[in-house]
Amino acid sequence: MRLEKCWFCSSTVYPGHGIQFVRNDAKIFRFCRSKCHKNFKMKRNPRKVKWTKAYRRLHGKDMTQDSTFEFERKRNRPERYDRNLAENTLKAIKKIDKIRVAREERHHKLRMKGKKAKEQKEAAIELEQGIHLVKAPSVLAQDQSLTLPKIKVKVQAQAEENQAMEE
Amino acid sequence: MGKCPNRKVKKRRYSHKTARLAKFLRKGDDAVYDELQRSDSAKNPLPFDEDLPGMGQYYCLHCDRYFAHESVRDEHFKTKRHKKRVKEMMGPKPHTQLDADLAAGMGMPDNGPKLMPV
Repeated sequence: MRLEKCWFCSSTVYPGHGIQFVRNDAKIFRFCRSKCHKNFKMKRNPRKVKWTKAYRRLHGKDMTQDSTFEFERKRNRPERYDRNLAENTLKAIKKIDKIRVAREERHHKLRMKGKKAKEQKEAAIELEQGIHLVKAPSVLAQDQSLTLPKIKVKVQAQAEENQAMEE
Repeated sequence: MGKCPNRKVKKRRYSHKTARLAKFLRKGDDAVYDELQRSDSAKNPLPFDEDLPGMGQYYCLHCDRYFAHESVRDEHFKTKRHKKRVKEMMGPKPHTQLDADLAAGMGMPDNGPKLMPV
């Protein structure tokens, strides 16, 4: 079973999923879902579409260089079956996956470092610039023009209408 | 090429597939890009093809189009569409399946050791 990657978004395409387009020069384009297929037909560049892996890699959103990326690859030479090797590989997959997730988490944490301080700084600036828009509650109580006027609505008429509808 | 066989309306129109034929025959971006990279080293004269406009002698590499005459082609070179296309083709290499695989966290393809000694 070969798990292919989507041409557009680089997600894994399992057998029986997605759609495949073979161009008249025998190049194969695989798509994980109709969303990716449609984007391809619109001639969009995956490097410019923000939700694709290609974009995220290119703009430093995801981890790019790591030794855990060296394990999963397309092997065009078939391997001779060896029971021990198969067992060890299955064990290693779990371990490597764990390491990769941990490293990705660390990468994300490092990337988000200083984000909260930056947000707070921006909020402080916004508050400073827009403080004249905020009115104290005591001012609202004094000046009636700042609050919406209270309007009395007849409830009786509405009730009658409802009765008519029921009938 | 002829009339559309399943045409019900009495209008002289071809099948929608005939109209779209050019779209299917047009080269993809990556194919054009590869051709441009290749053509820098070896340029061979265009073959005569009577099916193509202008015997296939007036060709725009960037836009993958044939023109009826040299003047028409030169006019095309001046268009905005062509210039935009040239700019696009001067940029980075178009996205390929290999790029998608690498972005997904896969390594380079492993073809095993060489079977034939070089």
